[in-house]
Amino acid sequence: MGFEWPWQYNFPPFYTLQPNVDTRQKQLSAWTSLVLSFCRHNKFYTMNVMEIQESPLFNNKKIQRKLPLESVQVVLEELRKKGNLEWLDKNKTRFLIMWRRPDEWGKVIYLWVSKNGMTNSVFTLYELINGDETEGEEFHGLDESMLLKSLETLQLEHKAEIFTLNDSKGVKFF
Amino acid sequence: MNRRGVGAGAIAKKKLAEAKYKERGNVLAEDQLVQMSKHLEMFKTNLEEFASKHKQEIRKNPQFRVQFQDMCATIGVDPLASGKGFWSEMLGVGDFYYELGVQIVEVCLALKHHNGGLITLAELHQQVLKGRGKLAQDVSQDDIIRAIKKLKVLGSGFGIIPVGGSYLVQSVPAELNMDHTVVLQLAEKKGYVTVGEIQSSLNWEKERAKHVLEHLLKEGLAWLDLQATGDPQYWLPALFTELYSKQITPGESSEGPP
Repeated sequence: MGFEWPWQYNFPPFYTLQPNVDTRQKQLSAWTSLVLSFCRHNKFYTMNVMEIQESPLFNNKKIQRKLPLESVQVVLEELRKKGNLEWLDKNKTRFLIMWRRPDEWGKVIYLWVSKNGMTNSVFTLYELINGDETEGEEFHGLDESMLLKSLETLQLEHKAEIFTLNDSKGVKFF
Repeated sequence: MNRRGVGAGAIAKKKLAEAKYKERGNVLAEDQLVQMSKHLEMFKTNLEEFASKHKQEIRKNPQFRVQFQDMCATIGVDPLASGKGFWSEMLGVGDFYYELGVQIVEVCLALKHHNGGLITLAELHQQVLKGRGKLAQDVSQDDIIRAIKKLKVLGSGFGIIPVGGSYLVQSVPAELNMDHTVVLQLAEKKGYVTVGEIQSSLNWEKERAKHVLEHLLKEGLAWLDLQATGDPQYWLPALFTELYSKQITPGESSEGPP
């Protein structure tokens, strides 16, 4: 299934940070939802700033417009404020993009657990992400650090407990 | 000696004549009133007959509706003036335009985040038709303009700006003067305009052109593009959508990030 670009993608001024505050607000919210749906479509979890700036996401060759690096930073910072992004290093070159926030993932996972009567069962993290049982579920193939964050939110709600087993981690649902 | 018309008898006679004249006058006036009421009654009956006879056509056929509106205008009747009047009760036209007005407001609101509150009449027409579904009665651009004129009464900031052969519909209360309108007309062909283009086609001072464009930016009607080759371009999303006919629906605004 091809990715459907929003109308703004082909609108040349979309690639210039707007001077008018209200318009810029609209622009940034369009950019943030575009970044999220793009990463979701391609199942991207961790990304590199340089890499993403060159990708079709911020670089529209057809109309020869490219979002400048400073503006990319503004968009990413906006995503961080909304809780959808986390920097992975001090220099802000790599980031974790969360098109679902950890608590939202937690809900999705817990829904699957309770629907299948798996409460009181134990899973390894690997099983949850790559196991046959979760084949076709939305969280199948989820980034491991992302999964861990989601399970931590469930742990806070006393719906799960994370434990370490030898080298790998496991989880028990309640 | 002739003393005619001076005695008491003459005065009485004169008074009697005056009274008779008055009486006659009253009768005449009454006659006239009766006659006029009769005419009015007849006119109303005829109009009612006409309206009920052509009710279906008036409701269904946009062209017929235009002609009917014109006819009403010539005799000084506004069938849309009130939702309770004879006309709207008879024809349901009042309801029709109120309903249309609501649909217009809905479309304008849904697309405001996108176009800053400015939309071409053609685009608005298309979006309204899309929202009404296939079974609803047909709506012409003339109907839309009429409905918008009714909306103006509410002081809701609705306005119609003529550009080229068509119209732009404004749904936010932005102050637009002649200068702005002329610039919008200039932008109509390409969806954008530059300071240089304004200077050369309108023979304006640079400052005047800049001032107008700054105002359009300030009102959120225009977007600035600094990556264009040459002059910065001032783009109007309202015009862009139609020119590049990308699919957008009023539902788009409700789709948030995942």
